Amino acid sequence: MGFAYLVVLLISIVGMATLDRRFGLFFWRDGWRAFVTLLVGVVFFLIWDIVGIDAGVFFRGETSFMTGVQLAPELPLEEVFFLVLLCWLTMNLLAGSRLVLDARAERRAASAGISTGAGPSPGAGPSTRDGRA
Amino acid sequence: MTYWAINAVFLGLVAVTAGAALLLRWVRARAARTSSAPGSLGPVVRAAGLATAVLLVMTAVFDNVMIGVGLVGYDESRISGAFVGIAPLEDFAYAVAALVLLPSVWTLLGSRRETEAAKAAGAREAR
Repeated sequence: MGFAYLVVLLISIVGMATLDRRFGLFFWRDGWRAFVTLLVGVVFFLIWDIVGIDAGVFFRGETSFMTGVQLAPELPLEEVFFLVLLCWLTMNLLAGSRLVLDARAERRAASAGISTGAGPSPGAGPSTRDGRA
Repeated sequence: MTYWAINAVFLGLVAVTAGAALLLRWVRARAARTSSAPGSLGPVVRAAGLATAVLLVMTAVFDNVMIGVGLVGYDESRISGAFVGIAPLEDFAYAVAALVLLPSVWTLLGSRRETEAAKAAGAREAR
């Protein structure tokens, strides 16, 4: 009986939560919507797994890295955590890619001296409220 | 049943969900026809491309490690024999499905509120 795989998965999931929280990517963007999306994804992939196991396509390896707890024949406990990680990673990546590309476009526009109209431009906004406007 | 046959069924379900999400997006864009709010798909597509590239590379790395250390095994008579390293090509269907299914579900869940918002935006601009 081993916990190595489960611990690695849990650490990775904590990493996903940290990135999500820092950049407001998924749960920190809309918690309820993220919860339902993740639930749908995990259940969908578990059914996919079970169909694959039932058809004899894949099976649990004999390894000392897993707890040995099985939710169904050949379906290890760890698989649920793997699927949570896969789904959270996917949604973080999609939202994170958008942030990265938008930030790059904005930097480019700024260095070219054009205002994109997206987001507050430096100097505008707050200064109109301190009486100098 | 082969691994690809199973994947075809589940990828089909994913495609139907994606179709529904795209339809909803289109309906929303029409409701806000006069506004620029829901806008072009360009930035969404570019971000999806980047996320896809990263996730496929990560899948290749982690799947090879998982199979390498013996977490999972495959019946060789039911897989195509196409591999990325020691990972069956079929495994990548999970990553592709996640990239399409999850944002589709996310879009569908946001339906009511965002459709209302789009309508309101459209109505404001029409005035």
